[in-house]
Amino acid sequence: MAGALITVALFLLPFILVRLGRTGEYWIWVTTEMVIMALFAMSLNLILGFGGMVSFGHAAFFGVGAYTVALLMKKAGAPLYAALIAAPIVAALVAAVVGWFCVRLIGLYFAILTLAFSQLLYMVVFQWYTFTGGDDGIHGIPRPEFLGPINYYLLCLVLFVVCFLLMRMIVNSSFGLTIRTIRENMERAKFIGINVRRYQWLNFIIAGAFAGLAGGLLAELNRFAQTEFLHWSKSAEPILASLVGGMYSLVGPALGSALLIFLKIVLQQSHRSMVEMWAIVLGLILLVVVLFAPGGVVGLCQKVLKKSGS
Amino acid sequence: MTIQYYIFMLVNGLSQGMLLFIIASGLTLVFGVLRVINFAHGSLYMIGAFLAFSLSTLLSGGSLAGFLMLLLFVPPAIAVVGFFLEISLFRRVYREEHLLQLLLTYALVLILDDLARVVWGGDPRNVARPELLAGSVDILGLALPTYNVFILVVGPVIALGLWFMLYRTSAGNVIRAAVSYPDTLGSLGVNVSWVMTSTFMLGCWLAGLGGVLMAALANIDLGIGMEKIIECFAVVVIGGLGSVGGALLGSLIIGVGITFFQLPFGRWALVFPYLMMALVLVIRPWGLFGKPER
Repeated sequence: MAGALITVALFLLPFILVRLGRTGEYWIWVTTEMVIMALFAMSLNLILGFGGMVSFGHAAFFGVGAYTVALLMKKAGAPLYAALIAAPIVAALVAAVVGWFCVRLIGLYFAILTLAFSQLLYMVVFQWYTFTGGDDGIHGIPRPEFLGPINYYLLCLVLFVVCFLLMRMIVNSSFGLTIRTIRENMERAKFIGINVRRYQWLNFIIAGAFAGLAGGLLAELNRFAQTEFLHWSKSAEPILASLVGGMYSLVGPALGSALLIFLKIVLQQSHRSMVEMWAIVLGLILLVVVLFAPGGVVGLCQKVLKKSGS
Repeated sequence: MTIQYYIFMLVNGLSQGMLLFIIASGLTLVFGVLRVINFAHGSLYMIGAFLAFSLSTLLSGGSLAGFLMLLLFVPPAIAVVGFFLEISLFRRVYREEHLLQLLLTYALVLILDDLARVVWGGDPRNVARPELLAGSVDILGLALPTYNVFILVVGPVIALGLWFMLYRTSAGNVIRAAVSYPDTLGSLGVNVSWVMTSTFMLGCWLAGLGGVLMAALANIDLGIGMEKIIECFAVVVIGGLGSVGGALLGSLIIGVGITFFQLPFGRWALVFPYLMMALVLVIRPWGLFGKPER
């Protein structure tokens, strides 16, 4: 019920914002980014929170999605819908290859291997000037006429809601339960005959596909794709969002992501020096969460609710 | 393309590798004892480099005495920073899961890198080499840059020093015991948390030393920390997490590898560390010198 209300509010939001003139337009852009990054964070959380595997290379699939859209639309002249269908597919294919190797490792080694693969892809994109434009990136991705800022926001939101429902379905399905079983006790999962690697691999691919869609949407929003989308520091963003929001729930990462972007924009607008200092603030927030509230915002809320309930 | 050219390239690659070893050995030592992969190691190295720059402008650098002062004062300064980081932050997460540890050190990267931006700004800097190390030396009829040769000497000295410290002193015994049997060590009455703190400080000292040496080798800017930490990851993974000997081998492989792959592949050679890293992790996840996890 609350979810439906929030969804309706999110759909109405741009029509309110547009009345605020220029700042309103800017905030429509910001909220679009929030929706996209929320999708990215939620996609990672399929591996991180539900799968219990720390991937430090999720930006690879985000970047692959972004470059798929950029290349298809700019170089092949493909329409947006085709590019947005291709983005998750290509990302899933890359995730299938990378994941096939990565799920063979656990714990820290898994994290480092995902990092290695994503940096490998990053370097390839960085060096391959003739195809990806190297560190210049790809600029001037065409935007269909009818997609003004509001319509693009609505498109992203619709896709987000669809993905959200899909992910909820996945998480609550027997597949999702198996993934959580593996997180809780891998040995036991093996003993009862679960093909752990295959489940983790599939989960990795699914997460990669959603990340690819998010990357494609962001490329179209910014109308450019750049190497930074694949850099390992980009992989950290959804992890931070998941941690801040709370990674043992579906909405936690989306919440955390939106919260961090909101905070960043507000702080940077409040004072010019904050543009330089944002990373320090983010680092301090992260420290506090790691040391005092590892359950994130959602975890805190649950704690408070439990206390007041009992 | 004479044999001399190849020797020249080899010296270059080896000195790059030695510099990488000095930094990566700190990372691997810290991992071995603390079981924490410190993302902020690269940031500490970068701050070491910038501190060297600031101190050298203060000392009107270029003199040998000034450079020795840098080597004498900057690494301990970084070690002191490490001391405070360890007792205030790292110590709290040893028993937590990997993710929280990684994120704690990542938070430090964000904070330290941004502090460095505020203090030193985004311009590239460098430290003048002292005259003695600035020119080139003739070895076997080859004119090799003195500074690279100097690093080639310092690297093995550090490696030997670490080996001696770890395998021939009682402090080293304690550290190695802390790697293998921390609980037993504690029950034998050794203050394990002090072992951890001092190991962490030693790791930071090495990062600082790498920073000073780097500052006089090439331009330094705000990106070098992030760049180097990933290279260090590659080194440490190739050699085996926690193995100092492995770090030496890994560093030399990466240093020499990048240099020689530049001949046929140009800028694509930069892909080499990541390729090696992925390859080793896939084939032998515990690294060339490491042991499979229990």
